[in-house]
Amino acid sequence: MTEPKQSSSSVPGPYKWEMAIDLDRCTGCEACVVACHAENNIRISGEQEAAEGRAINWIRIERYWEGEYPDVTVKFMPVLCQQCGDAPCEPVCPVYASYHTPDGLNAQVYNRCIGVRYCGNNCPYTVRQFNWFDPHWDPPLQEQLNPDVTVRQNGIMEKCTFCVQRIREKKELAEKEGRRVRDGEIAPACVQSCPTSALVFGDRNDPDSQVSKLARQDRGFHLLESLGTHPAITYLKRIT
Amino acid sequence: MDLRRRTFLKLAGATTAGSLIPGCKENVHQLVPYLLPDDQIVPGVADWYASVCGECPAGCGILVRVMEGRAKKIEGNPSHPINRGKLCARGHASLQRLYNPDRIRGPLRRAGKRGEGRFEPISWDEGIASWRERLQTHRGHALMLSGPLSGTTAQVVKAFMDHIGGPLVIHDPLVDHALISAVDARFGRQVVPDFDLAESDYVLSFGAPLLEHWRSPVAMGIAYGQMRQGRPAVRGRLIQVEPRMSLSAANADRWIPIHPGTEGLLAIGIGQLLLTRQDTSTDVGNSDAYPDLFKAFDLNEIVRRTEVGYDDIERLAVEFSSAQAPVAIAGGPASAHTNGTAALTAVNALNMIRDRVGKPGGVRFFESMNPSIFDQKEAPISERGFLELINEADAGRFPLVHLHHCNPLHTIPPSIPVRRLFERAEFIVSFNSFMDESTDLADLILPDHVSLEAWSDHEHLDEGRVPAVGLAQPVVRPLYDTRAVGDVMMEVGRSIDEGVPEILSHETIRDAIRSNWEALLSQRNRTNEPDWFETAWIERLKEGGWWGPARGVQSPGQDRRSPGYEYESALFDGDAAEFPFYFYPYPSLALGYGEGANLPWLQEMPDPLTTVVWATWAEINPKTAMSRGIRQGDLIRVTSPHGFLDIPAVHFPGIRPDLIAVPIGQGHRTYGRYAANRGVNPLALLGALFDRDSGRLATAATRVRIEATGRTGSLTMIEQREMHAMRDLIGIDRINTWIRGSGKE
Repeated sequence: MTEPKQSSSSVPGPYKWEMAIDLDRCTGCEACVVACHAENNIRISGEQEAAEGRAINWIRIERYWEGEYPDVTVKFMPVLCQQCGDAPCEPVCPVYASYHTPDGLNAQVYNRCIGVRYCGNNCPYTVRQFNWFDPHWDPPLQEQLNPDVTVRQNGIMEKCTFCVQRIREKKELAEKEGRRVRDGEIAPACVQSCPTSALVFGDRNDPDSQVSKLARQDRGFHLLESLGTHPAITYLKRIT
Repeated sequence: MDLRRRTFLKLAGATTAGSLIPGCKENVHQLVPYLLPDDQIVPGVADWYASVCGECPAGCGILVRVMEGRAKKIEGNPSHPINRGKLCARGHASLQRLYNPDRIRGPLRRAGKRGEGRFEPISWDEGIASWRERLQTHRGHALMLSGPLSGTTAQVVKAFMDHIGGPLVIHDPLVDHALISAVDARFGRQVVPDFDLAESDYVLSFGAPLLEHWRSPVAMGIAYGQMRQGRPAVRGRLIQVEPRMSLSAANADRWIPIHPGTEGLLAIGIGQLLLTRQDTSTDVGNSDAYPDLFKAFDLNEIVRRTEVGYDDIERLAVEFSSAQAPVAIAGGPASAHTNGTAALTAVNALNMIRDRVGKPGGVRFFESMNPSIFDQKEAPISERGFLELINEADAGRFPLVHLHHCNPLHTIPPSIPVRRLFERAEFIVSFNSFMDESTDLADLILPDHVSLEAWSDHEHLDEGRVPAVGLAQPVVRPLYDTRAVGDVMMEVGRSIDEGVPEILSHETIRDAIRSNWEALLSQRNRTNEPDWFETAWIERLKEGGWWGPARGVQSPGQDRRSPGYEYESALFDGDAAEFPFYFYPYPSLALGYGEGANLPWLQEMPDPLTTVVWATWAEINPKTAMSRGIRQGDLIRVTSPHGFLDIPAVHFPGIRPDLIAVPIGQGHRTYGRYAANRGVNPLALLGALFDRDSGRLATAATRVRIEATGRTGSLTMIEQREMHAMRDLIGIDRINTWIRGSGKE
């Protein structure tokens, strides 16, 4: 698609970052949730704030009970920012903090955010989370913080970025080497740690990428697709 | 190391400068560069060190991202054959063990009365002198209680105890002694065989905690993914038989809520049907497997006692006999009864009947790596073994007690009076990194490094298709005034007596590991270069260990059990009339037996089935609860013959109406700010009943009664709030469908 020497910035949208989540593989083990906390400097909320609904998770495992004892089944579904193609969170932001990158990500510009929470209100997936408090780490827990990711303060809306710092790093590396990013070269923290490989990440503009192949499967569906948000995450149905 | 680091930083500086140029340039091309999300800027370059995860005995390979001397992120080591680049939640959280604010920061001496929790800091010289003095006084009368050990550390600790005279007792509550004993009875091998989930198309699991605690849950997760969707045209099925729906059962295609303690009976029932189907089925292999066992029970009686319908049993038998590569596997609650070994033997017989031993997708043993350099391994003892130990302590055999990475006062119920080991001791030394319930009683604390600061190796020579030894190097400089317990033992061992065992004659644990690795690598990587080992050692450090070529499947040994083997019924502690409920405390997914409770990421990780965070809860069938007026979050009093606990109730649809289940993990009296005084420890209610054959504590064999207290408990569920706010995604979708539907009318 692109010439090897061509810079990605001169071709609008040479990459389209998408994810496929195979619900037939997902076991609900929560490895992705903790991996995300570690990578993205998500603050420790504590019991009190969690009880008040102020805990922050960029990715969560939704669990659905179906049926009654003894014919009861469980379904797990990891839910994170769907990086919508037509994102309801973007047009409502009065200060353009919610912004669509050329790679198809819904970016959140923290230093623009004034905390009106319209975006969070408008997100049908409830994946945007507001910082009601300043973050705090009991020393020396702060030594672990990832220097590639901003620590968000009180009054800021935050959400999953598809680990944009990792995307950025590999894109720049590929650019320096005059090539496209290879399939599988970029793995957000959740994808990388998933033991069952339920989560797969890649470039949807590359028809041969693993994510493109999975997204074309018959089992594929999008979350709340009737809303017309065009999510970048394709779920693959669990077989039961 | 330092030199390498310094060289690295120079290189890193150069690369950083280089990598920033195109980055900056690109930003300038954007019109408003300062308005880009600032997390798009990559300021530094990271250094990666291969090591081994120390959070559980699985020993997964890890890569640790280190920047400016601080560990930032842990990822799976892609070349390690156990976890192949993947990592579980607990592995990630080991960073919070390293940077935990409640670590013991240097040697301590008891200041107040024992158990009062008052300690004063001392120097290492003082600490070691005081310990050495006690060792000399109590020569031959020392006891070492240790968590699971592996590789060179295991050898060092064993050699040290042999040297000073005294038993090394390994305690690991997650070891399934019933499984080991059942395998030993059948095959004469004391190993957990490899159940080849990945290549199976039908997994019949009797309570096996495959996705929670089965050796390496990461390895099992990889195999599970492969079983479900990794093969074209084959999707493996998983059937889980257990009284409470665990995470594994939640992922199963079918969950069969069997009567507690009758798992073995169901296996016998299935076996009977398999044998009667033998005429019609082509590949029933070994009909001689336990013929008496299968004749002993009438199917109607099995239906009555297991409370699994005849049709269900028949369906299981048909499926098990018609599948291409079925495997039967058992553990968890099935092992946690007084008939645990008997039940597991009956389940294993199903594999024998279908001739699934040594086959792909079945039960496999691998050629052992003898002669292994890591000999002298001490096997973990069962909980019943502690009773004997306590008797010996009562006789004054152990005036000196050591604690090494274990906390028996939390992980063993008080009905087994381990506290007496502490009370009878004149002097208690702890090497633990945190002030836990057991260390709190110590007279002297000589804190070890945490795993990310320490040298160690972790061998997988008896298990897995690919033999492996993980090599752990320190990824950061030790944060505090701690010392590697191996170094301390070597120093003290040498000073106490001449003629120390060879392994203790090294200067440091690093040297001991190097010497073992020289022996290991000389068999394979030796070249004619004089410094071949230095080159090979650096290679192994970078790689994170050594892995051999895949080895062959070994045919199992002979049956050691007489054919007239009999099944037995499970016994329970507590009168059925007075205590109408069964009780099952199970290890928490995040916190295990409580060792993860001091890590905030794990406290904050929602339990997958209940979404509870930071708490203990009691799972109760919603109908049972409603009939007794118990609402979600109500504090209920759970009473056993051994005491009572007040626990908030969670309406749990996946549990039998006659069962109460409570996760283990919380209820620490001490153990740092995140763990202390939070929730309860359900082990407190258990009676001292054991699996007859293996001595494993029968954690599912105690009965309880419940009463509403009229109070509301402290119970934080992530889900509750979302349901209140109508944020249930399926709910929203249903409303949407409904709106669209009515719009059309």
